[in-house]
Parts: sequence; C-alpha cells; structure tokens
Amino acid sequence: MAQPAIEVKDLSYSYGDILAVDAISFDVAEGEVIGFLGPNGAGKSTVVKMLTGQLTPQKGSASLMGMDIVKERKQVQQEIGISFESTNLYEQMSAVENLDLFAKLYKVSDFDAMGLLEKVGLGGREKEHVASYSKGMKQRLMMARALVSDPRMLFLDEPTDGLDPVSTETIHALIRNATKEGTTVFLTTHDMVEADKLSDRVAFLNQGRIVALDTPARLKQRFGMRALKVEVELPDGGAEEREITLDEDQTPQAVFDLFKNERILTVHSEEATLEDIFFDITGRGLQG
Amino acid sequence: MIGTLVVKDIKLFVRNRFFLIVTALGLVLYPIIYFLIPDQVDESLGMAFYIEDRESALYQRLTDEPGDYVLFDTEAEMLTALQETGDYFVGLSLPADLSAAAARGEAVELNAYYAPGVPAEARQIFHDVLVLFANAVNPETLANLTRFNETEFVLGNDLMGAPLSLRDRFVPLFLVFIVMIEIFGLATLLNRDVENGTARALITGPLRLHQFFAGKALMGLLLAFGQLLFLSAVMGVLGVSTLLLLTTLLLGSFLMVGTGFFVAALAKDNTSAMAWAIVFIIPMVIPSMTVLLPGLSTGWMEIIPSYYFVDSLHRILNFGAGWADVSRNLAMLLIGGAATLAIGTTAIRRKF
Repeated sequence: MAQPAIEVKDLSYSYGDILAVDAISFDVAEGEVIGFLGPNGAGKSTVVKMLTGQLTPQKGSASLMGMDIVKERKQVQQEIGISFESTNLYEQMSAVENLDLFAKLYKVSDFDAMGLLEKVGLGGREKEHVASYSKGMKQRLMMARALVSDPRMLFLDEPTDGLDPVSTETIHALIRNATKEGTTVFLTTHDMVEADKLSDRVAFLNQGRIVALDTPARLKQRFGMRALKVEVELPDGGAEEREITLDEDQTPQAVFDLFKNERILTVHSEEATLEDIFFDITGRGLQG
Repeated sequence: MIGTLVVKDIKLFVRNRFFLIVTALGLVLYPIIYFLIPDQVDESLGMAFYIEDRESALYQRLTDEPGDYVLFDTEAEMLTALQETGDYFVGLSLPADLSAAAARGEAVELNAYYAPGVPAEARQIFHDVLVLFANAVNPETLANLTRFNETEFVLGNDLMGAPLSLRDRFVPLFLVFIVMIEIFGLATLLNRDVENGTARALITGPLRLHQFFAGKALMGLLLAFGQLLFLSAVMGVLGVSTLLLLTTLLLGSFLMVGTGFFVAALAKDNTSAMAWAIVFIIPMVIPSMTVLLPGLSTGWMEIIPSYYFVDSLHRILNFGAGWADVSRNLAMLLIGGAATLAIGTTAIRRKF
C-alpha cells in the first residue's frame, strides 16, 4: 500500500485554555484534494499552521510525504507551497519581483515568472507594483507564489474568500491543473460549494474535532435527505410549494397522492448540500 | 539566501519615498552645512574669579573695572557656574591668606579650574594671569611668589590639547545624526515584514528564522555603515586613524541595528514603529550635543549607549585618540548593540 502524502495521528493544539485542535487523525493520499470544512474558529487554520511548520504540535504527530513535520520541518517546507488566508505579498514590488524573490530562495533554476503569471491571468500587469492590484489579483499572485517551487503539496487557506466569480474560477482551474499533475492539495474553506466542487474528500471540523470525513457524495448519501419540491396550483389561482422527502418508506405513496389530487405546476428534485449535512451533524452552520 | 534578502530589503528601502528623501537630504545637507561652518577657532576666553580677601586691592580693582570676567561670592558658586553654563574657560581662586603667606615666604597654593577643551597655550596664559594677580594682591612680596604651588582641577572630560573649530565639533554630530535615521528605516522594514505576514511567507519556505534576522541585520548594517563611510569621505575625515575610525563606525552601525530590532519588537504597526523610533532617537542624540557644549557632559549620560559612539568619534577625530583611549567605548558599543539585538530578536520571535 502506498504511503499517504499526509499522515496525522492524534494532533492537538491549545491556545492557553482554549483547545483549538483536539486529537485529530486522518490520512491523505498522494494527488488527493482534501477539503477541511468548518466555521471560523473550528481549528482549520491551526491544523494548517501545524502541518506547515508555523506551529509546533503540543500532542500527537504528523508526517508529510513521509517526513516528520517537527523533526524534518525545513525539508517539509521545501516540498510544499502555501497560499495564506490573508494577503502577504511585497506590495512595493512587482508581481515578477515577488515571484523571482521566492524562486531565488527556493533555488529554482530557469524560473519562468512570466509563464506562471500568464497561467494565473496576470500577464500584462506583471511589472506593476502589487499595491495597485485588486484583491482577486493579489490572491491569484499568492497562488502563483505557492506554485513557484513546483511543490508536491499545496496548502490553500481560504483561497477564494471574498473573490469575484472570475478570480474564483481562475483559482479553481489552477487547483484542478495542479491535481492533474499529481499535487496533493490541502484546502481549508468555509465555502461548501467550493469544497464540493474541488475536493475528493471533505473533513468536517467542529470545535477542534473531525466529526465527519468522506467523499462529498458519500456524505450526502449517508447524512443528507433528498427531496422533491413540487409547486401546486391552489383553488383561488395562487400557488403553493410542497416538499416530499425521498428515500423513505412512505415516499412512493406521498408522490402518488400528490400527483393524483393536485394540479402540478413545477417539479424539482433537491439534493442535500454539505452545509445542510454539516448543520445536521453539528447543529451549527458553516458561517460561524 | 541572505544576500537575496538584503537586495530585496535595500530595494524596498529605496522605494520608500520617506526614507529615500530623509536619507538623501542628510547625505546632501550635512556636507553642505559642514563646509559652511567656519573652520577657524573664534573663542572668547571668559574668566571666573573667586577672591576670598575682599579687602584686597585686586578685589577692589576687579569690582571697579568690569571686563570679560565675573567675580563669584563663593568658590562653590564659581565651580557650579563653570560646570553648568559653559560660559567660562577658567576659574581662578585666590585664598585669603595669600598675602600673609607670601610675606612669610611660604609656598602659596593657588587653584585654577579649567573647563574641558581649553587648549594648552590658553592654559599657559591663565597660569601667567594667575601669577600676575597674585602679585597684584601683594606687590611687595613679588620675590616670594616664585615659590607657589599651582593645583589644577580638570572639570568633565580631559580632552585638551588643541583648539577645535565649530566645523570639527560638528563632524561627530553629523555622523550620529545620519546613522540614527536608519533606526527608522530598519525598524519599519522589519515591523512591516512581520506584521504584513511576508516574513511568515519567507520562513514557511526554505528560509530559517535566524536567516531572516541575519538578512535584516546585515541590511541595516550595510545601509548605516555605507552612509557613515560616504559622509566621512565627503567631510574628509577618513584619513584620521582610518582603521580605528572604521571600527568605530561599524560598531556604531551595529548599535543602530540593535536599536532598530528593539524598536521593531515594541511596535505593533508601521505608525507605532515610527513613534517608538522617535522615542529612542531623541535620547540617543543627546550625547552628541556634548561635543558642541562640553559643559553638558555628565556621568549619567553614560547610560545612553550612543554616548560611547559620540565620545569615541570626538576623541578620535578631534583629539587624535588611539585604540587604548577608546577601547572601553568600543567594548560598550559592542555590548550595547549585542544586547539590544538579542532582546529585539527574542521579542520579535514571539510574534511568529
């Protein structure tokens, strides 16, 4: 069996009396995209900080690509790319200068900054100071910076938070391209649509604990209830929406009765979202 | 790796309009002022007197004929005036029994108190004046007055030997001013890297935290030392004890780097970095004022680390001091720089 790209065992971290991460364990296969979902304060960023060597775990252990995150921190950091939650670029430098700086630090030979900037949609603006960039452009540049060393693993902390749809789609395309080339992606987000679209598996994090970890489809199958939404015409000419939960014993009879007795205007099937499932499991929403 | 960081930081420093303008102004204006300041010595020699015997002819005469001197009621008052005002270069004290002692043929003890910086030739003049005044007290005992003892007290630092022009006095001042401004630059660049998270981006990559600090320290050292070298060359002082001067400039730059780290550790954002820098720069500039006003030099000033930089420069450039004369100062500069750097890096480390 192949060694997991990420192997985490009983990892814990507290900020004083506040337990931010509570003995979590999970594995991630090479080339897999794992989405960490949870509201603000659930412990997502603390997990990222521990795995990327920004924080030292207080309990438990973890390895990335077979390397211990504490004992071999610097080797681990050579192999990963990070896109941080908040913008941390040199604003008085151009995009090219920002990327060239990191390429030199990573000792990347024949680095093609322009090629990478074209990939993230910043071609033509590469010589402007980053201070003049929009939030979306900065986020795309952060993504480009994370890719400078052609890392085996990417950590993306809320990579599309607050971005317009075009910038979001650009970043999604970059993530998909990276995974096609075998890069493992650790994605933290509270955007369930994004997690659903991009992740092979998602982990629900609540109060520092992983409360569910599976593929989005299986989570929906396991926890979500499909429903039929039917709009019927009322005797006074108005309309009313009725909902029939699917996958239950009485569902066929309920559908039959509805179609027999009512004048149907529209019919829609509805699938549970990851947010619904998160709410069902934890009793709280993803927005915090 | 550290070289890459230094290049990046110098680039950012140059792109910061405020630092660029302040630095350029200093490098241009200080030499201009330096060459505008007179290089001739023009010092009036104010004298202070304490004559215990108020009935003496000399006392009466000095009271009746005001000149460039002041008579004090007590010796203590005269000493205080000498130390605090800087208006007098010499204080002469004539005891009450001078006349009788001279008449008895006994040795007479006269006290001359010199302010710091009184040149040797001026001291000889005061010596002769003292003899003449003693004669004026008792002209009949002129022959006996050849056998008196002169006790000399030196106030403040004993830095005598050559007259100093205003231009010479300003050299250490300019060097300290130019290097102090770099505390602003280093503290702001360091704080910006930490607070904006760019430092985090660097150290979660291939860079280690100590390399990040080393890069910043080296950048600060290069900027400060480079400016000191430039200014010293323009003012034409590099030829004075070159190796000793370069060592002093380097250690002064090191102290500035340590202070910059210390300020960055205290700061929460760019504005507070500027504010904290001012809090440190103002007291650190004070010792340089003693070069202009020697009377300001007191013991407490030695608690300000920049004192050792100013004092060393003043001694080397204006009094030809050698390694042995300033070795304690240089050691203090090294200790001060290392201590502030250690405290600063430790405190900044906690921000990550």
